[in-house]
Amino acid sequence: MKILTTVKKVVDVELTIRVQAGAIVEDGLQYVINAWDENAVEAAVQLKENNNAETTLVSIGGGDNTDMIRKCYAMGIEKGIHVEDPALEKADSPVFARVLKKVFEKGDYDLVITGKQAQDTDSGQTGIMLAEYLGLPCVSNVIDIQVLDDQHIKVSRLGDAGTEIIELELPAVVTVTDSINEPRLPQMRGIMMAKKKPIDVMDLSALGISIDDADGAAAPTSEIVEFMASKTREAGQKFEGDAAQITAQVVSLLVDEANVL
Amino acid sequence: MAKILVVADIKNDALKDSTTELLSKAGSIGAETAVVAIGSNIEALISGLVNAGSDTQYVADDPALAIFSAGPYASCVADAAKQFEADQIWFSFSESGKAAAPRVAVQLEAACATEITDVAISGEHVEVTRPAIANKVMQRVRINAGQMVVVVRAGAFEAAEGITGTENVVTLSPPAVDVKAVVKELISDASGEIDLADADIVISVGRGVKDQTGVDLVKELAHDLKAGFGSSRAMVDGGFMAHNKQVGQTGKIVAPSLYMAIGISGAIQHLAGMNGSKVILAVNKDPEAPIFNVADYGIVGDLFEVVPILRAEIKKIRA
Ligand SMILES: Cc1cc2nc3c(=O)[nH]c(=O)nc-3n(C[C@H](O)[C@H](O)[C@H](O)COP(=O)(O)OP(=O)(O)OC[C@H]3O[C@@H](n4cnc5c(N)ncnc54)[C@H](O)[C@@H]3O)c2cc1C
Repeated sequence: MKILTTVKKVVDVELTIRVQAGAIVEDGLQYVINAWDENAVEAAVQLKENNNAETTLVSIGGGDNTDMIRKCYAMGIEKGIHVEDPALEKADSPVFARVLKKVFEKGDYDLVITGKQAQDTDSGQTGIMLAEYLGLPCVSNVIDIQVLDDQHIKVSRLGDAGTEIIELELPAVVTVTDSINEPRLPQMRGIMMAKKKPIDVMDLSALGISIDDADGAAAPTSEIVEFMASKTREAGQKFEGDAAQITAQVVSLLVDEANVL
Repeated sequence: MAKILVVADIKNDALKDSTTELLSKAGSIGAETAVVAIGSNIEALISGLVNAGSDTQYVADDPALAIFSAGPYASCVADAAKQFEADQIWFSFSESGKAAAPRVAVQLEAACATEITDVAISGEHVEVTRPAIANKVMQRVRINAGQMVVVVRAGAFEAAEGITGTENVVTLSPPAVDVKAVVKELISDASGEIDLADADIVISVGRGVKDQTGVDLVKELAHDLKAGFGSSRAMVDGGFMAHNKQVGQTGKIVAPSLYMAIGISGAIQHLAGMNGSKVILAVNKDPEAPIFNVADYGIVGDLFEVVPILRAEIKKIRA
């Protein structure tokens, strides 16, 4: 089984993000692997270990992704593709999905594993759109993957009514959520070996995507006009001291001031 | 006049309030509205669909649609969108909506935006507003396509008073089953419990409650208040709470009148699921816990001491 895993470099959400004049202030930002893609990488590596799968990752955009891709190598991914092109600067999910389609078609993969969403956009569209463009079956929000045979996997999905157990015919696309696994920490040996592994860097023309064609794969259907600061909540009243007294006080405030009890 | 198709949010055979909220918003921006309802044995919901404020009701009612499957579900929506000639297709915030919206967008060659909190038609363009980066920023996004599919974030729109619709039912033919993604089983969530998304009060437990005894202690308070009972990821990972109880970026987004965070530190991913609540009460023994930065009322103390007092005091005022 050949697995393609997608990884995106995203801004570290744990740090302060500032907005100025409609844009995010670059100063002080740090970039990391998208957390849900780390779950996707771990899922792929587990399938390699348990089911002899071959593992390739693909990352689109992000500039210098060497550190991130090496980290994934150190976790156990065997091959890495990085698609980088100036035309991708304003890419939205459909564009990413169409680029991934080209990557998929070049590689004869059986299974694509993506994170359920990227932490920078929180959109959750790319993996599902990839499947739709390819006409492949797809399950999103997956918490478990079992290989049944060469052509079938069984996945569990967290849905609205409960956990759905779904059998998929390969090739297929799944998007995973963080409950699926606990991504491993790279070990020293893996980190050393990762440094020697090549990364296959390519641009859009190498994938056969024309950027001049306005309706082509690189044309976004949505564009971010501006960023705005989120409405931040103000810290309210904090009570310390005798538990009985402050709790009674808060309850009466919930009744009389906040009108919510 | 824009034509907006709202996908009815149906759970456990009932129509959720979000359907009315979306139709109210669509009506308020002057759109002609239709709703599409997908499920099995849903005739009983039709009057509700009309009353929710729709002028046309597309109904796909088939035993094969009893359990959610993204492919057939998306086909029904795309079918209704084509018949209605919808400019915009709006899904409520749900796992079904999140799974189906990108498919519908590709099928219709429409733009797609998820977790939106507002829609505005400015000149020739449609613009949406949505949070990104775990709610740390907002984006204003311009749609450069003739059609758009969106998923509306929970709690973004309000139901209008006295909204009415007209009955005009269009039956959709059942879609083909997805033979390449076969739903074998649905392990149903515990029923009879209050759905977090509907609850006016939500009380969530975090790692601070430690174990089952702590969970049960807080559950009694939730029971008294008929509140939804939620959780941080820590207690889900620990096996004490079900997955569908997780509040946060990976779980449910809630926006109740009152949210109580009991023994929850306030990680960014948790906040992303609850910081739209009207009033937040936090109980935490660490005065520096980040949850206090968003709480309207904070009680610094040991929850095992505070929660029983909280219960008693609330009982007193409710008596
Ligand atoms: C990709 C990703 C997605 C995630 N999605 C989610 C999500 O959807 N939802 C979510 O919740 N988390 C999510 N997380 C996890 C999140 O980062 C935190 O790890 C988690 O929310 C912490 O849970 P907690 O607050 O219960 O535990 P902790 O952070 O351990 O906090 C426990 C709190 O309890 C307090 N406490 C302890 N004992 C007592 C006592 N006796 N009385 C009073 N207070 C006490 C402590 O002071 C502490 O503040 C996600 C993480 C990642 C990376």
